[in-house]
Amino acid sequence: MIDCDVHCAPATLEALEPYLSDYWREYTTTAGIRLLGMASAYPPNAPTTGGPAPGSYEALREQVLEPFDPRLVILNCLTLCEAHRNPHYQAALASALNNWLLEEFLARDERLRASLVVSTVDTDDAVKEVERLGGDPRFVQVLMPIRADTPFGNRRFHRLFAAAAERGMAVGLHAWGRAGHSPTTTGYTLSYVEDYLANQVIAQTHVLSLVSEGVFDAIPELRVALVECGFAWLPSLLWRFDKDWKGVWREVPWVKERPSSYVRRHFRATTAPTHLPLGNDGATRELIETVGTEILMHASDFPHRHGPSAAASYELLGEEAREAVLDSNAAEFYAFEPAAVR
Amino acid sequence: MSVTQTTPQTGAPTPRQVSLVDCDIHPTLTMPELQKRISERWRRHLDRFGRRTPMITEFYPRTANAGFRLDSWPEGPGGFPGSDLGLLQTQLLDEFDIDYGILNSLGLLNCHEMPELAAEMARALNDWMVEWMDEEPRLLGAMVVPYEYPELAVKEIERCAGDPRWVQLIFPDSAEDPLGSRKYWPIYEAATGHGLPIAVHTAGYWPHLDTGWPSYYLEEHVANSMRMQSQLTNFICEGTFTQFPDMRLVLTEAGVAWVVPLTWALDSAWEQLKEDSPPIDRRPSEIVREHVWFTTQPIEEPDTPEEFAQMISQAGLEDRLLFATDYPHWDFDSPTQALPRSIGDELRQKILAGNAAELYGLPLAPPE
Amino acid sequence: MKVVVAPLEDFPPDTRKLVRVGAREIGVFRVGDSFYAVRNRCPHQGAPLCVGRVFSRIVSEQPGQFELADGPPLLVCPWHGWQYDVSTGQSYSPGDPRVKSYGVSVEPGSELVEGPYVVETYSVTVSEQYVVLEA
Repeated sequence: MIDCDVHCAPATLEALEPYLSDYWREYTTTAGIRLLGMASAYPPNAPTTGGPAPGSYEALREQVLEPFDPRLVILNCLTLCEAHRNPHYQAALASALNNWLLEEFLARDERLRASLVVSTVDTDDAVKEVERLGGDPRFVQVLMPIRADTPFGNRRFHRLFAAAAERGMAVGLHAWGRAGHSPTTTGYTLSYVEDYLANQVIAQTHVLSLVSEGVFDAIPELRVALVECGFAWLPSLLWRFDKDWKGVWREVPWVKERPSSYVRRHFRATTAPTHLPLGNDGATRELIETVGTEILMHASDFPHRHGPSAAASYELLGEEAREAVLDSNAAEFYAFEPAAVR
Repeated sequence: MSVTQTTPQTGAPTPRQVSLVDCDIHPTLTMPELQKRISERWRRHLDRFGRRTPMITEFYPRTANAGFRLDSWPEGPGGFPGSDLGLLQTQLLDEFDIDYGILNSLGLLNCHEMPELAAEMARALNDWMVEWMDEEPRLLGAMVVPYEYPELAVKEIERCAGDPRWVQLIFPDSAEDPLGSRKYWPIYEAATGHGLPIAVHTAGYWPHLDTGWPSYYLEEHVANSMRMQSQLTNFICEGTFTQFPDMRLVLTEAGVAWVVPLTWALDSAWEQLKEDSPPIDRRPSEIVREHVWFTTQPIEEPDTPEEFAQMISQAGLEDRLLFATDYPHWDFDSPTQALPRSIGDELRQKILAGNAAELYGLPLAPPE
Repeated sequence: MKVVVAPLEDFPPDTRKLVRVGAREIGVFRVGDSFYAVRNRCPHQGAPLCVGRVFSRIVSEQPGQFELADGPPLLVCPWHGWQYDVSTGQSYSPGDPRVKSYGVSVEPGSELVEGPYVVETYSVTVSEQYVVLEA
């Protein structure tokens, strides 16, 4: 079993002090900057949050590795999303987080992999960080939390994708991100549930953008994982996208095939959250079949909780499909060694 | 489609049943014409300063014949698709034997303007539509209101609601606040009091951004479906339907298929997060089934048409789909061609007329 | 059945004429010195296809590349924008319906993709300074 989304985060900035220069230590102290544990995205006491993200290898081992016994884990650290817009701070904090990930986790357990944290405000800084650490095979993808300033297909990101693809890295589009714009194109959300559900729509915006802007025509080796974004919305989106493309494709003539072909080839989606109707096996099966099990990759999204739907859906999969979702789809996508035959 | 039947005993024709209702037609009142119909004070203002609200076409030009069927431009100067009643009658109502068509005017669905100006323009637009409805009995109207000013909007509702040809109110799908917001509740109260459904129509001009600006019309066009997802989510999460148990919502020109995974996600999230939003007083999918209708255009076209029919029945949407052509836009759905053949006759008839007749309380016999 | 469309001198390049032949309406196009004819009915939803614009093909390998290419031009449906090779009636995008074809030699084009429908195109010749449609 490969777990494609497990969270970790330093509990306080102190944990990052060894990796921050004197200047930044002084800066964060003077500005009263504290880590908030992504409290806006994951309010500590919300039922879907589950608990704090493990802040140490020991905590990870105790809470995830021992109970669930994954053969590989991809760690996602979203801490940079709390950073403000000072680009130098972002670059420094990103490097600090990656160095922390290396020392605290990756160096201590062969099963651990991670998404590379990169600046969300400066593409060149992001590319520099990919150049610095992207050669290390334990960083399997570039982390891009989806709440951003610009849809990710935009040209300003292409050199980041190229740098990632050159090193065999995927791109991980992860739920949440830096608060800034309203979470929806209709305005601000008063309730958490509305904010929580906004991730699915934002993910759709990026899917449209990445295909429409020709990212996969420019970089055919690029792979994109939709992490914690859900997947049940894919079929209806792709029906619409394919149809609209047929009408206006001359605007984007580099999109040479129907968009759904690009998406099936280049995207995968993790299974947490799975929002499928409990107790409606028929509809669940049909949706999964329409999506295609080959694009699903198992994730616990520890510590977050999205309800019983994922487990219930796994029960409905045939043995071969379940094995693929639990392991070989991710193994293939991230070029991991296949699971040892038991 | 429209067939005169004879009763067996007498041989006299039985009244023809309404068999085709077009729930989304776009008439155009051109700006020069509108300006003639408002007060001098505001005519001067528009003349000098124009409108402040951007049009979406400034950001995303419709790269498909400027957004319209090429054959819908009226001949002669000053004409615009949808501005000529005669052409609309021949090209749409007569061509397809439409029994009733609902005029959904888009001209003021981007309206961040001064209150009195907004109110006057709405009044002018409504009065113009009445002229069309007077001349063409097959036409019904969606009332426009200055929606950002609920007090003024309620006044307009009270002014117009006596005319039974107004069958609904129309809102854009993006406004200053999400549409479920309390700000707009006085409007819903007045509309619901008069038994008027609220139509929310694709018209976004992006007053809000989630993750920034897409580059292409292709993206923006698909995103219409996503914005409607956000609005529906908002109506539910802000408890608008709890506040107004008789409210009926018609989501227009956003497609249909997306409502299925959305309601699943809403149900799943609500199970976990009930405490978060007490105004959601029951399962969201139930709320949707009780309060929401959808026009069909632009209808999704999966490779396997059976998938579409499956999806409709999974969501319990058979009684909630309303056929629409979206004339004169480029992605017009033909009444004779657009619905997948795999849909059975009973469902087809509901979509083409029965559901609309019930929602809008239309007489069963079409107008003469 | 042969139908005289117009004298050649009344049919300038890059213009079109609509001709009714029995129950069918057919659009005859002159592109440069070549003539094409297709049925005035888009197989998608029945739009008057021949009212649509005529465009060149586009070659684009990378985002930002917009090269107009040679070859028979594309007739774009005035409603939903589906595009048809006027010489063969094939639509340009994968899986789209195509206009029906009558006895015209099919010219293979590198960007054309087989669709599920057979399209009607008609042969046009110039005979003694008259443009003649065979339909």
